[in-house]
Amino acid sequence: MTAVHPPPAPGRELSNPPMDGISNLRFSNHSDHLLVSSWDKTVRLYDASANSLRGEFMHGGPVLDCCFHDDSSGFSASADNTVRRIVFSYGKEDILGRHDAPVRCIEYSYAAGQVITGSWDKTLKCWDPRGASGQERTLVGTYPQPERVYSLSLVGNRLVVATAGRHVNVYDLRNMSQPEQRRESSLKYQTRCVRCYPNGTGYALSSVEGRVAMEFFDLSEASQAKKYAFKCHRKSEAGRDIVYPVNAIAFHPVYGTFATGGCDGFVNVWDGNNKKRLYQYSKYPMSIAALSFSRDGRLLAVASSYTFEEGDKPHEPDAIFVRSVNEIEVKPKPKVYPNPPA
Amino acid sequence: MSTPKNDPLLQVETTCGTLLYELQIIWDEVGETDSDRDKMLLELEQECLEVYRRKVDQANRCRAQLRQTIADSEAELAAICSAMGERPVHIRQSDQNSGSLKEELRKILPQLEEMRKRKVERRNQFIDVLEQIQKITNEIYGSTESVSLKTVVDETDLSLRKLEELHRQLHELQKEKSDRLKQVQDHLNVLNSLCSVMGMDFKLTVSEVHPSLGDSDGLRSISNNTIEKLAIAIKKLREVKIQRMQRLQDLATTMLELWNLMDTPIDEQQMFQNVTCNIAASEHEITEPNTLCVDFINYVEAEVSRLEELKSSKMKELVLKKRSELEDICRKTHLVPDSDSAIEDAIEAIESGAVDAATILEEIELQIAKVKEEAFSRKEILEKVEKWLTACDEECWLEEYNRDENRYNAGKGAHLTLKHAEKARSLVNKLPGMVEALASKTLAWEKEREIRFMYDGIRLLSMLEEYTILRQEKEQERRRLRDQKKLQGQLIAEQEALYGSKPSPSKPQSVKKGPRFSTGGASNRRVSLGGAMLPTHKPDSLHSAKATPQTRPSKKTERIFQNDRQDDALPAFSAVRRGLDIADIPVRKHSSSAVNANELESPLVRKPFSPISSTVSSKANMTNMLEDNGDTLQKTIPTNDLSYTTPLKTTSLVDEENRTPKAMPIPVPSTPSTVSIPMQTAMTPAPPIPFITKPVEEMPEEIEQSFEERRLAFLLSKTQITSLIQV
Repeated sequence: MTAVHPPPAPGRELSNPPMDGISNLRFSNHSDHLLVSSWDKTVRLYDASANSLRGEFMHGGPVLDCCFHDDSSGFSASADNTVRRIVFSYGKEDILGRHDAPVRCIEYSYAAGQVITGSWDKTLKCWDPRGASGQERTLVGTYPQPERVYSLSLVGNRLVVATAGRHVNVYDLRNMSQPEQRRESSLKYQTRCVRCYPNGTGYALSSVEGRVAMEFFDLSEASQAKKYAFKCHRKSEAGRDIVYPVNAIAFHPVYGTFATGGCDGFVNVWDGNNKKRLYQYSKYPMSIAALSFSRDGRLLAVASSYTFEEGDKPHEPDAIFVRSVNEIEVKPKPKVYPNPPA
Repeated sequence: MSTPKNDPLLQVETTCGTLLYELQIIWDEVGETDSDRDKMLLELEQECLEVYRRKVDQANRCRAQLRQTIADSEAELAAICSAMGERPVHIRQSDQNSGSLKEELRKILPQLEEMRKRKVERRNQFIDVLEQIQKITNEIYGSTESVSLKTVVDETDLSLRKLEELHRQLHELQKEKSDRLKQVQDHLNVLNSLCSVMGMDFKLTVSEVHPSLGDSDGLRSISNNTIEKLAIAIKKLREVKIQRMQRLQDLATTMLELWNLMDTPIDEQQMFQNVTCNIAASEHEITEPNTLCVDFINYVEAEVSRLEELKSSKMKELVLKKRSELEDICRKTHLVPDSDSAIEDAIEAIESGAVDAATILEEIELQIAKVKEEAFSRKEILEKVEKWLTACDEECWLEEYNRDENRYNAGKGAHLTLKHAEKARSLVNKLPGMVEALASKTLAWEKEREIRFMYDGIRLLSMLEEYTILRQEKEQERRRLRDQKKLQGQLIAEQEALYGSKPSPSKPQSVKKGPRFSTGGASNRRVSLGGAMLPTHKPDSLHSAKATPQTRPSKKTERIFQNDRQDDALPAFSAVRRGLDIADIPVRKHSSSAVNANELESPLVRKPFSPISSTVSSKANMTNMLEDNGDTLQKTIPTNDLSYTTPLKTTSLVDEENRTPKAMPIPVPSTPSTVSIPMQTAMTPAPPIPFITKPVEEMPEEIEQSFEERRLAFLLSKTQITSLIQV
């Protein structure tokens, strides 16, 4: 059987992919460079438009997250409890400091000029990357969290921290002493990913049970009335739903729509305002581990990589696809009236 | 001067003579001298001469005057004659001297009079004609100034020829005028018909061209300007008409197409007969009033847009119908239709107008054709599959029936059941052959087509394989049962010896319930098989369901059954739960390497379907289970969304099928009331959050772990093992 629309190509697959699971990937804010962290203990830098591997940086343990500093350097969070700064041009790495447990996620705030890391040691740490190598000089502060940190997201001066136990803390980077808001996830299951809206009004949070919640920072009744959650990444088979974890959320930098990736291997694009699905890309060979839109939103990097949801098992090789994004796939559609006035 | 005496002159002469005589006498008397007398006489003579001279002069002058008059008259006469182009009536015979001058004058005067009169008459004629000419010319050439009546008549040429010429001119002008009138009338007629066809106000249109044309009885302007304006107006209107006609014909064409497409009833079409009959008409053929009026065109247009809307909605309907047809066929042939999202997208696209419904329809039809073709090729195998599944049902029923201790109790319809059982038995005996035949057929089919034969999205061969494995396991289980039964017999005998009472044979009530529940619907068939295959560790698509949270509801259902008989079910349950919580690692490990002695895994060493070697082990399992019973119970609560029921659910069925009656007497710790609690929560789609969160927090940490944490733990354990091995 053929689909009504012939399935579009999944995008260009990057050569020299990581040897083990991909933990995260991110486009640079200045170019089409792509930074990829992996369980194979490396961070890799690709030029996505040229499909070339620009650099490979070995670590002491699996790398759970990475982010850009500027186009010539980046940061990595590793399972060997270490936070590193990598300078791409000469493969040099500075150790910013350590956590007491594997570092799960890392973000760089342009607003604060700080690196923020979340770890399974139930703390959040802020680092000043300009300090000379050495924890005493670089560490800005340590902020205890109710549980192990699973996901972080930044927008402006807002920082959203999602932890185990479905806790969500919202911080103001300018005053990290106390969370601005302490929340509980509106989803019933473990949080997989949290991402702030580009317009800074709220965040999307996904769980292991095929659901995404759309939340708002503003605590007024009017704003809170707007929040909602929706099901996704499910497969209906013989009247039953098979539900997959939603591993990744990526917002489009221009339109504010967002893509989600799940263990079903699908990438869906959603229009959060109109509550509509805009597009579904054809199935990828493995779970979607991470997603990132390029700075202009023209490219979407998709990590098709086993996320260990079913334990150790044979699986398709890990791969990174870079697809060019059509405007129609990500542009919010105006509401369609059933019968348009003639 | 002698004159006859009879004449006065003679008398005057005589008087003169007498007078002279008298004078002589006087003179004689006076004695005048002769010289004086002569002088006086001379004087007298001179005076007389003077008088004569004067008179002659006078006469002479009179004659000249008379002659002058005659000449003048003659000249005038001649001039008039020449002007009138006539030969002069009077030819003067100046040489003949036929009479005196006065006579001549008397003769010429009446002639002159006569000619003058004629001339005036002629002039009047000229003026008359010229006036007419002037008037017509004015009308034609449209000099707006009032007719300059005092036409200048050329006095010198009043000849008849000229008059005739003028008459001819007048005549020509009159002809032209009538021509023009006709032309104007023609134009007006055309205009009238155009206006009527297009539903315009004729009078208004015409008055716009020239006010005089509006009133039918008044004088119409026939000037060049008017005619030109009329022609322009006609041209303009004709253009409008052609434009409208084309518009109408376009609409009519569209309408006809739509009628054809939608089989519009004739009476509905009839209303627009006058539109469609003009579809091929040329411009001049459309004459019926108001055929092209704006209102009418708008009316037709409205109808067309109505039809179009109707069509698009019908198209949508058709797409949906075709789509449901496609789905229907797919369902019937147990094919999994392509992701319906594509079609939903398509419908959305139609609504937004991005895609033509027709193309989508075509695509769907193509798909239907393909599916039908595929369905045809699958038909034979499908029939066999149906048969096989019915046989499987029968097998289930038979097993259940065999377990029913009271099956031979004579009751209502017992003989029928007996017969049924007989039939089922023979059918079940044929099952292996059936499966084999089906498998070989399917293989051949797959080989031929080089695609997998899918049944509701699952490869048929793997279903068959699972079934065979399941069957083998059942066989084993049966053997084990037989052994156990023997053992139980001994046990009962011992107890009897001890307490003197014989426990009643286990009540098969729950046993009955379980299988019925899971084999209840035909739709469950495949699922039951799929579920059954789980414990066999076959890598399959359904496997993916195991670790993902949706399997939790299945736990719940298990849980419900297990609460009835906790003994045997518990290990299996815990296995599943562990599998869920720690993503299946232990199970897998167990199958791959037995080296791992993780305390988590200890209860899992036993495979869900492996026989329980002794009552001791089963008890150990039970206590283990009881310890985290609270946890598991609560843990299952949040997942009680009935819509999540997954194939896994049916593992319980397999459990129960394999269960020994011997398990029954072991006391059940959970009372039925505990059972009912999860059931109730199961009904509510959204369980209250605080209820869930508490257990989560209370749970030991290793219960909630992200995939990454498990992965790291796995990696670490692996490296430890390798390092151990290396050491």
